[in-house]
Amino acid sequence: MKKLILTFALSFLWISLSMASDPAFEKAMKKQIVAMDQIANAEQSKEVANGFLRIAEAKSEEWLPLYYAGLIHIEAAFRFDVNKDQYLDQALEYIDKAEKLAPANSEVTALKGYAIMGKISLDPASRGQNLSPQAMQLFGKAINLDRENPRALYLMAQMEYGMAQFFGSGTDKACGMVRLSLEQFEKEESIITEDYILPKWGKRSAQQMMNNCN
Amino acid sequence: MRTLSIFIFFFLSLSTISFSQTKISGKVLDEKKKGLPGVNVLIKGSYDGSTSKDDGSFEFETDEEGPQVLVFQLMGFKSIEIAIHCEGNAIQIPDQILVEAITEMNAVTISAGAMEASDEKKSVILRPLDIVTTPSAMGDIVGAFQTLPGTSTVGNDGRLFVRGGDASEVGIYIDGIRVGNAYGSTAGNVPTRTRFNPNLFKGTFFSTGGYSAEYGQALSSALALNTKDLSIRSQGDLSIMSVGGGYAHTLSSEKQSLTFSANYFDLKPYQSLVKQNFDWERAPNGWDIELSAQKKLAKGGLWKILARTESGGMEIWQPEPGQESRGQLIRLRNKYSFAQTNWKNAFENGWTLFAGAALSSNFDDIHIDSIRLERKNQLAHGKFTATKDFSDKLSMNTGLEYFNHQFDESLVDLNFSRDYVDHQFYLFTEWDYYLNKNLVFRAGLRAGQSSLNKEQWLDPRASLAYKISESSQVSFAAGSFSQMPVENLRVLNQTLKNTESNHLILNYLLQREGITFRAEGFYKGYENLVVFEGYPQPPQNPTNLGKGYAQGVDIFFRDRKSIKNTDYWITYSFVDSKRQFDQFQSEVQPSFAPKHNFSVVAKHFILDLKSQFGISFSMNDGYPYHNPNDGEEMSSKTESFQSLSFSWSYLPKPNLIIHFGVNNVLGRENVFGYRFAQQANSQGVFESIPSGQVAPRFLFLGIFLTLSKDKNANQLNNL
Repeated sequence: MKKLILTFALSFLWISLSMASDPAFEKAMKKQIVAMDQIANAEQSKEVANGFLRIAEAKSEEWLPLYYAGLIHIEAAFRFDVNKDQYLDQALEYIDKAEKLAPANSEVTALKGYAIMGKISLDPASRGQNLSPQAMQLFGKAINLDRENPRALYLMAQMEYGMAQFFGSGTDKACGMVRLSLEQFEKEESIITEDYILPKWGKRSAQQMMNNCN
Repeated sequence: MRTLSIFIFFFLSLSTISFSQTKISGKVLDEKKKGLPGVNVLIKGSYDGSTSKDDGSFEFETDEEGPQVLVFQLMGFKSIEIAIHCEGNAIQIPDQILVEAITEMNAVTISAGAMEASDEKKSVILRPLDIVTTPSAMGDIVGAFQTLPGTSTVGNDGRLFVRGGDASEVGIYIDGIRVGNAYGSTAGNVPTRTRFNPNLFKGTFFSTGGYSAEYGQALSSALALNTKDLSIRSQGDLSIMSVGGGYAHTLSSEKQSLTFSANYFDLKPYQSLVKQNFDWERAPNGWDIELSAQKKLAKGGLWKILARTESGGMEIWQPEPGQESRGQLIRLRNKYSFAQTNWKNAFENGWTLFAGAALSSNFDDIHIDSIRLERKNQLAHGKFTATKDFSDKLSMNTGLEYFNHQFDESLVDLNFSRDYVDHQFYLFTEWDYYLNKNLVFRAGLRAGQSSLNKEQWLDPRASLAYKISESSQVSFAAGSFSQMPVENLRVLNQTLKNTESNHLILNYLLQREGITFRAEGFYKGYENLVVFEGYPQPPQNPTNLGKGYAQGVDIFFRDRKSIKNTDYWITYSFVDSKRQFDQFQSEVQPSFAPKHNFSVVAKHFILDLKSQFGISFSMNDGYPYHNPNDGEEMSSKTESFQSLSFSWSYLPKPNLIIHFGVNNVLGRENVFGYRFAQQANSQGVFESIPSGQVAPRFLFLGIFLTLSKDKNANQLNNL
């Protein structure tokens, strides 16, 4: 009897442990996510990325901290005076690790496309031909995996917009897509609570792009 | 029941015991003892940690207790871990020094002799796209390399000539496997092209000397072409050209892709519109089909297949010096097949294994007036290599190779034939040692054995590179290179030994954002070159008694940033070469080695016109030739060669390219040498005919359309 109770108690504990959210993890993530929105220079960007990497190191089964470390590196490459190629390569390294932990994840796939978009922007003349189809394919795949992922839609819209501008064709398709992405951003906002740690960035840029469309 | 309560108590106590906080502080320095900012300092297994400040200092508090591991991490540096003990008192960590890791991104690379075209790596001279868009190249890989330092243009041959070496001295490899008869068969001063389409390759490595022990049977140069990995989308590519057309279809999924293509060309319609210098009976024509497939394997690794078969021919009247008639009728039919497969896997433990095999088979059926000659040349190559990174400082590349070479030529009507079969085995090993990220040594050894002439040989090679500053470096290379004589001589004397060359190369390379400057000096000694009696057609009694040298300097400058949307490069190569070879009794300057070689390529993109315009200009100081009316061998020289080419690529839509190109826009009458009568005429003069260009100009128009049932595009439209 004792044994039975013990087994029961143990298995119950085990279940509750694995099912329960990990408050320490969430707390640590939230702290970094708040800090991420305040990044104003390369040093701060490094600090916050390091924070996420510490979480990734401690919770080696979580894709989310690696995702954010990747995102911060991409944004730093766009915003700050850093070795852009090196930052983007580093971002791709984190994203590849995240992909291994969360295969076929729409957010991770879209982020990879974003990093490749960054690589293209550094040398469009020689990288465009090779990498553009890759980025398009990744955004397409991300949309396929989750049709409600506003970031995948927005990034694809950006890519389409750039191509339309280059070839002087209409931006209708790109603008249609960014409108769709904004709808999804609205939808996403309705479910965002204080405890939300999943990706939610991109709305402001999508709105900016929408302004160019009107 | 007691057990349970003890257990629960134990469990609860774990989370309720309150720890005291431990303050940890210290400083991280680089190798020069300067503060290192941005270092991630963390306690392993916890979320606690901090980032070092500008002066390298850090400070944070942790709730962890007992023995812990403190980790220091920074991109591009080797991580370090130290043991600490947290017990509530502040811990002052002694200064930690992070050592920069030697990575592909920051380490010096050996650049002596080497010119790489790649999208993936740094220190490249060209991008793969540059090869396709070089105006004078007309889409031929080798044509683009003729604008690079160390090469000379030989307009009536078309092949690659490197630093005083003849065209056979350039070894051509696809994915590390040797390709036999990589150039199309041709006759009578009609220039040839590479058989392989540049779009097959993601990168190329072209070396003009001092190359790796991985490459053998090439005296002067190695040209390594690397095929593309998985295609990422299914599509059809249609090409319609002024000289023919073709279609390629690609099927792709996440794990594998397959491309099938078929092409047909015929210069007859073109030649009926544009004036030709040559007297054609039948214009060059031919077809090819090609299959390439790539597959990602379940256990990692990539498996590739490339197979191709083609057939072509031409018929041409070649005038004879001193004769009024149309001359000799040369008829050529060629059949060629190439198949190769290879597998490569990089394992997590640092080993990378590669295995590959290829078969090249070439058949030429040549009629010279009433004489009919058949030539079969077959090369099989198998190769296995293992590379290993023992640390970030030491790496090894070792391999085993087998070649089977069969050659057969016969005069069909005379029932006369001769042939040979040679089995060759090779073993090579090469070691790279980085003393630090600024200095690397490489030493290699290549051993070979041939069954036909029973020869065994050893080729040692060594190189080093030193980074002088962030953007500049010097490298030095030396080595021995061996190569069996060409087939038509070897078949005459099957005991012929390897011809040999020794290279010494000193290279300076400067690369800044958008700017490349490269200067290289070299000396190359030749031993055991083949000399024969009589004329090149037909040679008699070949022996290994020739020798020679080549020395010179070449300079390359490329600028992609000073002028907006413009990319240009300038090349000058000086070669002083003399050699005793072929029919020559003394050391002479070969006809294929002009002294001064100069070229400029410029490309300009105009966004509003969605067009790229390209212009290229090549010149040299003239080709030496032998005039039998003049006693001394090879003492005459043609006029300077000059050619200006122009191209226009127009992209009206993402999937449509229209390309227009003209070679030798100015229509200059270039002469590459003279052919002399073998007998003097009644006045005692040897009459001659200049070897010139096929036509004053060559015009090309092509329309390239990509048809893609692009799933992304479809899906976008459905959204």
